[in-house]
Amino acid sequence: MKCEQIREKSADYLAGELDEKSLSEVRVHLAHCPACREELESLSAIWTKLGVLPKEQPSGSLRIRFYEMLEAYKKGTEKDRDKISLGQTLSYWLGRLMPRRPAYQIALSLILIAAGLGGGFLLSVRSRSAARTEVTGLRGEVDDMRRIVAVSLLKQASPSERLMGVSWSARIDRPGDEVIQTLLETLNRDPNVNVRLAAVDALYLFYDHPEVKAGLIHSLAGQTSPLVQLSLINLLVEIRERRAVEALERLIQDEKLNPKVKKRAELGLTQLS
Amino acid sequence: MKTIIRLAGIMILLWAAGLADNAQESQADHAVVSFSNPAKPGTVEVDISEGSITVRGYEGKDVVIDARWRERVLTKEEQEQEAALAEGGEELDQEELARKKAQAEKAKGMKTIEVESMGLTIEEEENVIQVNAEEGKRAVDLVIQVPFSTSLRLSCRDDERGVTVDRVDGEIEVETSDGPIVLTNVSGPVVADSSDGEIKAVFGKVVPGKPMSFSTMEGDVDITLPFDVKASLKMKTDEGKIFTDFDVQLKPSQQKKEEDERKEGGGYRVSFEKVTLGLINGGGVEIQITTYEGNVYIRKAK
Repeated sequence: MKCEQIREKSADYLAGELDEKSLSEVRVHLAHCPACREELESLSAIWTKLGVLPKEQPSGSLRIRFYEMLEAYKKGTEKDRDKISLGQTLSYWLGRLMPRRPAYQIALSLILIAAGLGGGFLLSVRSRSAARTEVTGLRGEVDDMRRIVAVSLLKQASPSERLMGVSWSARIDRPGDEVIQTLLETLNRDPNVNVRLAAVDALYLFYDHPEVKAGLIHSLAGQTSPLVQLSLINLLVEIRERRAVEALERLIQDEKLNPKVKKRAELGLTQLS
Repeated sequence: MKTIIRLAGIMILLWAAGLADNAQESQADHAVVSFSNPAKPGTVEVDISEGSITVRGYEGKDVVIDARWRERVLTKEEQEQEAALAEGGEELDQEELARKKAQAEKAKGMKTIEVESMGLTIEEEENVIQVNAEEGKRAVDLVIQVPFSTSLRLSCRDDERGVTVDRVDGEIEVETSDGPIVLTNVSGPVVADSSDGEIKAVFGKVVPGKPMSFSTMEGDVDITLPFDVKASLKMKTDEGKIFTDFDVQLKPSQQKKEEDERKEGGGYRVSFEKVTLGLINGGGVEIQITTYEGNVYIRKAK
């Protein structure tokens, strides 16, 4: 056994807490290692000196101060006792349910935690798929609600309400044929230019829907407002819709066409081809 | 209840009186129409091709209409037709030419008196009052007084003078082709469109929740809003500029919006928005503005 190991065990040796085997090993080492012997002797001296130190006694004044403090605390809690809240009563009863000994308290909390975790895990495993279908279902319901609101608003007499209808339809995740049809109808037939412009913006969001692109190209020929025409051309160019080329060529042929729209349509043709 | 007032008859008398005075330049009409249910806010619809519309809110229950007819102005088509007739009718088809020639023959040596079907039609049905001027006749300047809460639908085509509205709190829908649109002391949702005219709107307050929209091809859009308005602006202009003294929180003009909800069973959507989105005081009423060449001015009311 090396000196280092001996010194680790020296405290236990002095306290007499070493087992038979370790004790004999230490004794053998000490017999032929003067350095360790010396170290142990000095340690032993300190040990004995610590043992003879007088025990610290609290002074009389400390005792008085402690009891004064305790009195003051008691008075304070007596005042509060008059207004016991629901929380306090609850915690009192919970406290009575709690075992008195700390070890049992810990044990109880561990059991509760384990039960919570286990239960939660089981529940989540069982209901994760159910919850997912529920979320999709809710999302679908919200979408349905938006669809109904959008379509009914788009049929109102007030242009402001129809604008609101367009902005509702833009919030629908999967618009479905009815909303797309209503939006295209708004784009083609709404008497108000502003509502038609808003419809172009909303249809922009759904351009990957099969009917939208064809509907937009078809609509170009029927529009009378230069602003709506420009807006449609911008959109068709933006989504690189090559099938729009023919419609643009036809539009340019129109003699009554606004010269600015004509310019934009010609530029659009070069951008698309 | 349906009331129809035809002012043509009165017009003839007035015109006859005017002829006697040899002062046929302007003739005035006056009509007072009440809503069938005055307790509820009504709607006034005006559709004229040539002329101007001025609407003012006042503390009354009836709608008071004053019309002033301008000197007869030939429409472009009529001018072309007359020119064609003078040149021997080359531009006209045979049937039309024959008819015109026959008419000219009959009227030889006589002068024209324009009395027939010149007038205004006013109808009231289910709290909606419609005012129409017959197309292709003389231009008319209308001054209409309405209760403050009235909603308006005004359309004025082919004229430089446009539409003016003051102190009306209802919803306002206006369209003009060349004339300006000037709205002052309004608060309801406004939806305005002009091809070549300027649109100016000064709001005393803004009713929350209802979207508004302004569009013009060549004119400017100039809007004054209360300093504490909560608004979400959606502005689109091809060649114009946007000015404001509001502290507008701007979003980038070309925004790529990506939504991936596939994990939660939703969809995937990528969209590009080629508009300028700006929030005033955190956002609120949706205001859409579209111009091609015109500038956009969003002013803070002082």
